[in-house]
Amino acid sequence: MNGVPFPDAPLTSDAAKQLRHELRTPVNHIVGYAEMLLEDAEDPSLVDRRSALEQTIEAAKEVLTLISATLPSTRTEIPVSDVVSLYKSLRGPQGRIVRAIGSLTPVPGSSAEPEFEADLGRILQAAERLVPEVAEGEGEGVRGPGASSSGTMDASRASAHLLVVDDDPDNREVLRRRLEREGYRAECAEDGERALEMITRHEFDLVLLDVMMPGKDGYEVLEELKGSTETRDIPVIMISALDDMRSVVRCIEGGAEDYLPKPFDPVLLRARINASLDKKRLRDQEIDYLRQVALVADAAAAVESGAYTSGPLSAVGRRADELGRLARVFDGMAEQVRTREERLRDQVQELRDEIDAARSKSTRDQGLWGEITLAVGERFADRYEIVEAVGHGAMGTVYRARDLELEEPVAIKTLRSEFVSNPESVERFKTEIRLARRISHPNVVRTHDFGESSGVYYLTMEYVEGLTLHELIESRGKLSVAAVLAIGTQLANSLAIAHEQGVVHRDVKPGNLLLDADGVLKVMDFGVARLAEGSTTLTQAGSIIGTPAYMSPEQLLGEAPDARTDLYSVGVVLYECLAGQLPLDAASTISLIGQVLNVEPRPVIELNDDVPEALSALIARLLSKEADSRVQSATSLAEQLSRLS
Amino acid sequence: MPTILLVEDNEMNRDMLSRRLKRRGFDVEIAVDGREGVEMARAGEYDVILMDMSLPEIDGWEATRRLRASPRTENTPIIALTAHAMAGDREKALEAGCDEYDTKPIELERLLAKIDALLNAEA
Repeated sequence: MNGVPFPDAPLTSDAAKQLRHELRTPVNHIVGYAEMLLEDAEDPSLVDRRSALEQTIEAAKEVLTLISATLPSTRTEIPVSDVVSLYKSLRGPQGRIVRAIGSLTPVPGSSAEPEFEADLGRILQAAERLVPEVAEGEGEGVRGPGASSSGTMDASRASAHLLVVDDDPDNREVLRRRLEREGYRAECAEDGERALEMITRHEFDLVLLDVMMPGKDGYEVLEELKGSTETRDIPVIMISALDDMRSVVRCIEGGAEDYLPKPFDPVLLRARINASLDKKRLRDQEIDYLRQVALVADAAAAVESGAYTSGPLSAVGRRADELGRLARVFDGMAEQVRTREERLRDQVQELRDEIDAARSKSTRDQGLWGEITLAVGERFADRYEIVEAVGHGAMGTVYRARDLELEEPVAIKTLRSEFVSNPESVERFKTEIRLARRISHPNVVRTHDFGESSGVYYLTMEYVEGLTLHELIESRGKLSVAAVLAIGTQLANSLAIAHEQGVVHRDVKPGNLLLDADGVLKVMDFGVARLAEGSTTLTQAGSIIGTPAYMSPEQLLGEAPDARTDLYSVGVVLYECLAGQLPLDAASTISLIGQVLNVEPRPVIELNDDVPEALSALIARLLSKEADSRVQSATSLAEQLSRLS
Repeated sequence: MPTILLVEDNEMNRDMLSRRLKRRGFDVEIAVDGREGVEMARAGEYDVILMDMSLPEIDGWEATRRLRASPRTENTPIIALTAHAMAGDREKALEAGCDEYDTKPIELERLLAKIDALLNAEA
């Protein structure tokens, strides 16, 4: 064998230099890109990226330290075992880099930053190059520069562990020594029993099995090996002086990989051993691949059932192929989802606490409600039994009722007669309600029906046990930032769905936002404000829809409102939640309208210094007089709010 | 605005370093090997050349010698970039005609200081 008896030969200084270069180049890339992204992350809206990027840089610098320690330029010969342990030690920082970058990788399709994603991809690509694709354990060895290219001896073959089974001591010894000269590790067994015992205790990559032996002969040993799931994948090459066809056929049928007649030609022996080892290696890789595919599939199932914790995929994530990439992206996504869910849970918990505190002192003074059309206990529209009046707004009164047909609680909103006197506006309203009925979202109060009974027009809706955001603000004053983020995110999500369906709410305000006891926000009255339109003019707006405080400038000016009108109103709502007061307020409707059109509100941060600067700036953008200057979609708002959490 | 010619064969290094330099206000042009580096340097006007020393075609050492031999580029500042800090690399780089020398991993601030120093010396 002219090749280096790998893996024992030390790396020459040239090979070490090359290896150092191969390892340092990706580290340079990782550090460079991460530093660049870190510079970007000085933008206040991107601060949450900083820690993952800092971790990445720190891990990359650790890699540099490890490289310099193992491969100092002053050292001329470096034992391969040092290189192997260097590779092993690199896995820690490599894994940290992959995880940190994975946590920054946006969910596919959600990102508007292709360049950022591309840079993360470059960092991952560089991280992949740090540690070669090595199966767990020692078996695969390391492909060191210089060594692997130098001869026919492949690392995986060289380190292969072979068992020679022969009853003739001379044969055994000759074969063993020949194999060791070839660079294999070889052990011997003198009979079948001993061979089977050794195979159960140690791992062998290949068995060379004599056919004719006293006691258990080669056929029997082969049969036992191939009959057990534990050992059937170990390749067996039969060796025999019996060069007759029947014996060969019997062995091959029995599962032997190959058959060698004695006396064997050394070249043929080597070729057959290597071919068998290669086959085994491929099979092992395939099994390993399938096992890792199964891990990814299990992880996907675990995410679905909410039981996923990152970790099981870290080995798969080190693969340099598509499966590895999939595992890393998957791990990153799952991690992102998990932390987002945790944050949401915390926020909602705060919200619940606020709600609980508010409920204990919530007072409903029904006496002030004025026009109550339906009486408690009354059977209405032949289908509903009125239980109680629960709310009252500019449009009419809301009742809790019982749907006698479906045996379910339901909310009924009666509409004041002035809104339904014009048949045209009733038609327009019906169209809007048809659209609104299509919105199905956990954060939207479902609209059931629109009807008329004995001259009373009404809407039926899902009944939500809870209180309105208006009531919550009334009783709590300012809400905590976490609670407001929970409200804002849910509100933006529900509007995103509605806007997608072509429905603009037109009347987003705390009185239309219900919170149930679990902190789930439900938006009601989608499209209902449409009924009041047409009769809405600048002067009437206040008296008809209640307060213009939540209306956008363009809405007050009677322009056709689009989705961004709702986003303005969201801005007012969030401002009010955080500040405990409206962004713009005045004693009279007219002067309030003047303010909405002309006056910039004070930044909310000036009224509540708990508010993060980025949130205050976001709300200010929502409150822009010009629709073009606002956040442009509810989806984008939801994303920005969740980033702030 | 100072213009830098970056001669670098590694795509990621090129992308990263050119973007980082552009952010700091430099104009950056790129050559992907020594031959292209020499051609571009002779044809254009550059305030500084950043020369990776291990390049395909003509390596950075040879490219630097050729630039120094050409009247048009004999005085253009060249900073050699090498992958490993080997003792003697610095001397070797200066001997080949480089004005400065830096090692990878690039520490941006250190490199910028060297570029600035050369630009100021020139002015």
